[in-house]
Amino acid sequence: MNPSERAQSYSPENGSNAEDVALMRRIVEADETALGALYDRWVRSLYSLVLHLLKDPDEAEDVVEETFWQAWRKASSYEPSRGAVSTWLLTIGRRKALDRLRARKRSKEDTVTGEHGFDDLPSTAPDPSSEVEGAELREQIRAALNELPDEQREVLELGYFTGLSQSEIAEATGQPLGTVKTRMRLAMQKLREPLSMYRGAKE
Amino acid sequence: MTRMTHEEAFSELSAVALDTASADVANAVRKHAAACPECGPELAAMEQTVALLGELVPPAQMNRGRSAGIRSRLLMRARSERESHSAPVPGPPDIARGVASLTGQGSRMTPGGQRIVTGESKRVTPAQTPNVPREMIPVRRSVNWYAIAATVALVITGAQLFRVTSDRERMRSQLAQLTPADTTKSPVDSLTLALSQKDSMIAAMTGPDVKVVALTNQGARQPLGRMMWNRSSNDWIMVTYNLRPPKPGMTYQVWLVTADAKISAGTFRPDANGNTFMHAKYALDRNALRAVAITEEPEGGMPSPTGPMVVAGAA
Repeated sequence: MNPSERAQSYSPENGSNAEDVALMRRIVEADETALGALYDRWVRSLYSLVLHLLKDPDEAEDVVEETFWQAWRKASSYEPSRGAVSTWLLTIGRRKALDRLRARKRSKEDTVTGEHGFDDLPSTAPDPSSEVEGAELREQIRAALNELPDEQREVLELGYFTGLSQSEIAEATGQPLGTVKTRMRLAMQKLREPLSMYRGAKE
Repeated sequence: MTRMTHEEAFSELSAVALDTASADVANAVRKHAAACPECGPELAAMEQTVALLGELVPPAQMNRGRSAGIRSRLLMRARSERESHSAPVPGPPDIARGVASLTGQGSRMTPGGQRIVTGESKRVTPAQTPNVPREMIPVRRSVNWYAIAATVALVITGAQLFRVTSDRERMRSQLAQLTPADTTKSPVDSLTLALSQKDSMIAAMTGPDVKVVALTNQGARQPLGRMMWNRSSNDWIMVTYNLRPPKPGMTYQVWLVTADAKISAGTFRPDANGNTFMHAKYALDRNALRAVAITEEPEGGMPSPTGPMVVAGAA
């Protein structure tokens, strides 16, 4: 089974992806109650991510609303073969959050370097309602991150949490662009291996 | 950049997966990856990895009242879109947050989607989502909305039209009286813009497809407000007069009542004289409106009506 097929079967805290896919089909048919159900299932994960990126509850709420609205409007563009619905939603949300970070940066010319990092993330999920499966995945990802060399981890953090381009990361870190590209690619490749294994093991 | 070699594309895969590449580069990489047996699966795997990283963040709980408000707005917008022939239309919708659109001052409104006639609506409460847990929201279903609304007859809104028309004529006169020396960019632009707004307002309030709903209550001899709905342009204009201020901590909330829903249309607070003037665009099926009602609700508004109905009118 390839990684995308494995990812399709994964849904961390809210049951199987099959239920999400069924909701997406109903959304395509303009069933707004399915949108409500999808919202109930994923609002927390999405809000957690965009709040962590933006550090602003009001903006995070805006992004959540925009993301689910886009899910409604663009539901037909969702392809189950490319990943879980949750992955699709989080990707949309992160993209919108990064757009806001970039706009914020353009307007303030503020420095985002160093504001975020994987070290910010708690070692255990603080919410007791989180299911064991979700916590286990987080630990797997964290372990994979911890095994990355510092220089690879650094460029990954800058790219993931701040949306800096590779050129901007090169400028910020004083490293040649080619070096940044190599480090980022290696980090991604190393990271996806344990994640893929984890997803496969969950089946 | 339209074409990339395999090596070029491969070196940009992680940037594309992280969504940090420029649009040109991302398009070129995706074009290459779509046909490359090595880059295609690699990019897909990286994108999934990036998405899974999102699940590392500490769980955060949105304010329950705000979350309920967002959910409610999403469903209202979705329902509205479905009812107005459902097919998604290109570009942003006219309103971004249901009721807030009608106030023209919602904090999450789509930029450019609303117009406010300044100087006539002295203060409009930003339509924040309510800070009230969902389970604390009682819905009073016993209110007989239709019975009360049905007691109201429709009237023509000559007074409002006269007022806006007079404003427009005054502005045109001012513009004509400006000498060439006066015609610096700023005042001319300002007057022209204001004139344009008045023209739009008049267009929205007139025409064969405007439905007018008089708003009153059982004790009032005169209407306490009117809602004008231009069903061709989807312009909604609401005026109120002689409305008492809402109680402390409360606000007025407008509802568009259809056969199966009460669609929140925004919160507002009248000025010191009890007057309000609001303008918004909102698509609604031309035959869907049954009534318009205003209730008194906790500051920020509610997903569904809970408070006493102040005024209403049958459509």
